[in-house]
Amino acid sequence: MKFSIYRYNPDTDKKPYMQDYEIELQEGDQMLLDALIRIKQHDDTLSLRKSCREGVCGSDAMNINGKNGLACTTKLSELEQPVVLRPMPGLPVIRDLVVDMTQFFEHYNSVKPYLINDDPLPETERLQSPEDRAKLDGLYECIMCGACTTACPSFWWNPDKFVGPSGLMQAYRFIVDSRDQAEAERLENLEDPYRLYRCHNIMNCVDVCPKKLNPNAAIANIKDLKIERAKEAKATKKTVSIKAI
Amino acid sequence: MLIELLTKKYPGMRLWLTQRISAVMMVIYLMLMLIMLAIKQPHDYASWLDLMSPWWWRMLSLVFFASLFTHAWLGVRDVFKDYVFNLRLRAVLQVTVDILLIAYLCWVCIILWKL
Repeated sequence: MKFSIYRYNPDTDKKPYMQDYEIELQEGDQMLLDALIRIKQHDDTLSLRKSCREGVCGSDAMNINGKNGLACTTKLSELEQPVVLRPMPGLPVIRDLVVDMTQFFEHYNSVKPYLINDDPLPETERLQSPEDRAKLDGLYECIMCGACTTACPSFWWNPDKFVGPSGLMQAYRFIVDSRDQAEAERLENLEDPYRLYRCHNIMNCVDVCPKKLNPNAAIANIKDLKIERAKEAKATKKTVSIKAI
Repeated sequence: MLIELLTKKYPGMRLWLTQRISAVMMVIYLMLMLIMLAIKQPHDYASWLDLMSPWWWRMLSLVFFASLFTHAWLGVRDVFKDYVFNLRLRAVLQVTVDILLIAYLCWVCIILWKL
């Protein structure tokens, strides 16, 4: 099987180049990651991240024939040859297929991806109704591989300002969590014209997500929720002023 | 109801919402236009004039064009924000577009006024 792989070692290469490989697949080599491991057996200078090899850790996200995806869940039989592999776009390359995800995780960190609840800790756990729990479906499954964010042109143009589909989906995951008490603060945190509103709904994120999630819907829900909360605040204000009269 | 969302308190939301509201205004006008075309079926200058000249229709047309230019202004602003990183160049381009859109709006006013 033929491959063309992006190579760049900042210590020795002046600029990146594409290297061709041709390997013979062995029995049991079904996924792209199997082939990459096979290539690495012949050329151990090739760098890539990998860990769980079953689509859970998100380490081996890369650009496969022009589309972001996970090497471990991409079937070799479905790939056109030569398989062109590049690092995910929009992030600095550390080496070969390995990118620096600092910016990505800074955005993730900025949405405070943890429960904020000032109530005293209960004896066991904080309970949720099955309905409230169901609201987290399609959100909590994100494996933070970065495929969606690095496929988003809005992130390419404003990587330091736009949170990106993955970070925004995680923001929404905590906004709708019935156990969280910081909804207003979280919505306020996304009010600047860049952090949330750079999304122009082109849906590259939905197209590439290896877990088949829909960050675009989460982003739209955040916007709807902002409008809803403003309406509620207005209604409450009205009620209070009527009572005062 | 949504006025507060269009204030400086919501810097991101107000631009996003303005673009959506302007789009809705345009859709409403275009649907009304289709209905009017179906009813009046203008076929010559006189019948077109009859369709476009009532004061209330001229006001609606003005609202439509104002919405169109607002929508275009926000859209182009987004494109400049995304693609033009040199702030000076972006400012020049934005001011050029602003002047053009204001000129277009004045032109529309003159045309509608003369009907």
